[in-house]
Amino acid sequence: MIIVKDLHKTFEDNRVLRGVNYHIHQGEKIVVVGPSGSGKSTFLRCLNLLEVPTGGEIWFDGQLITDPKTDIDKVRQHMGMVFQNFNLFNNLTIMDNITLAPVKLKLMNKEQACETALSLLERVGLKEKADAYPSQLSGGQKQRIAIVRSLAMNPKVMLFDEPTSALDPEMVGEVLEVMKGLAESGMTMVVVTHEMGFAREVGTKVLFMDEGIIMEENTPAEFFANPKCDRLQEFLSKVL
Amino acid sequence: MQAWFEKISKMFHMAFVEGDRWKLYLDGLGVTLQIAFFAAILGLAIGTVVALMKLSVKRNGKKTVWAHIANIYIDIIRGTPSVLQLLIMWFIIMKNCTNGTLVAVLSFGINSGAYVAEIVRAGILAVDKGQTEAGRSLGLSKAQTMMYIVIPQAIKNVLPPIGNEFIVLLKETAIVGYVSLTDLTRAANQITSRTYEAFMPLIGAAVIYFSIIKVLTVLLEKLERRLRKSDNR
Ligand SMILES: Nc1ncnc2c1ncn2[C@@H]1O[C@H](COP(=O)(O)OP(=O)(O)O)[C@@H](O)[C@H]1O
Ligand SMILES: [Mg+2]
Repeated sequence: MIIVKDLHKTFEDNRVLRGVNYHIHQGEKIVVVGPSGSGKSTFLRCLNLLEVPTGGEIWFDGQLITDPKTDIDKVRQHMGMVFQNFNLFNNLTIMDNITLAPVKLKLMNKEQACETALSLLERVGLKEKADAYPSQLSGGQKQRIAIVRSLAMNPKVMLFDEPTSALDPEMVGEVLEVMKGLAESGMTMVVVTHEMGFAREVGTKVLFMDEGIIMEENTPAEFFANPKCDRLQEFLSKVL
Repeated sequence: MQAWFEKISKMFHMAFVEGDRWKLYLDGLGVTLQIAFFAAILGLAIGTVVALMKLSVKRNGKKTVWAHIANIYIDIIRGTPSVLQLLIMWFIIMKNCTNGTLVAVLSFGINSGAYVAEIVRAGILAVDKGQTEAGRSLGLSKAQTMMYIVIPQAIKNVLPPIGNEFIVLLKETAIVGYVSLTDLTRAANQITSRTYEAFMPLIGAAVIYFSIIKVLTVLLEKLERRLRKSDNR
């Protein structure tokens, strides 16, 4: 579904990604871990071109999206993204946060969008917040809404960049629950996280990123039980 | 004491009452307000467009031609006296135009636009980048993200400084006497030269400017307080 070939990204003279190769298949849940500053976010943000790669190719559903002629707005309609800091639209109610994109992009009319929004909100237990503003919600609620906002676009893949890192500990669970439910529903997911429990439980593959490349890749069981490279062993000894 | 009071009241009579001179201030005030009002609207329109031009970037992150044009415009306006801009507009660019008010509105509008542009640009940049990224990640275009997400939030940031800019603009119109328009300042000046008495007309005009600006300032503070409240909704 997503094929990444020799992906490079350089900021000024900081070579953050140095040749990432990976193939993500439909329905997979790829969990990306690695030390801070290793390029995990940059990799994820390259997938929907929030960062423009300085080299290499990204194919999505058979389309070369790194080609400058690609209509990236169209591509992004099929790729949801959830951010560490939620990034709910502060000027809009929860309902408008969710319906803005589907309505403005003419994928649904206003009523359809509201209906979709309400049923999604019900799924995450936040139906009564439809008319609230983001500043009235807790972090966990905001992140669940952010997930719903992406889902309302009916995406083919969902990208998560440390979705629980900005949350108070007691709110991490509620967000992970929603993500697990989403995984069970068959969604293709790429998740950058420090939640090793989630990686073990939900991941189909776990990637270890360091020094701008995917240093190791394995099934969760093997990844945690038999880490091969030293850097990963060292990393796991710190986080487990 | 009595003599002093009599003198004052005679000066007042001469400055405002005799020959219905108060009407001259009123007419002058009308010209001042008219120029300031329409120039403010023009400045707001120009400033918003120029701010967006200045913020425009190409896919590779480099500035567009529009951004360079915007920079040149802002540089020129900020680097030359507004009196001179007005004179150039009147004697050179629009020398065939007989409508002095129109010339003044254009000149002040174009001038104010440069300052408004900087205010709007700062207001847009102050909106968290994550807001734009979230909008773009949903497939909204640059323009749609600006329109529905960034600009509504930027408006809150820019209203107070825009209000200040308009107060500055209102006072700055006092230079239109240079192109023989009779605004409040020139009206007062003309009366001075007719009565050979400067105190009352000049202080009177100052009091009028001050009162109008005081009212505007109070309204602005109210608006600001209301905006701050709705931030915590
Ligand atoms: N927009 C940017 N401009 C310049 N440098 C950046 C930018 N984004 C990320 N970087 C740099 O790239 C490196 C990797 O960052 P990131 O991908 O966020 O790492 P991670 O998510 O693994 O912690 C860091 O050194 C960071 O400073
Ligand atoms: Mg990161």
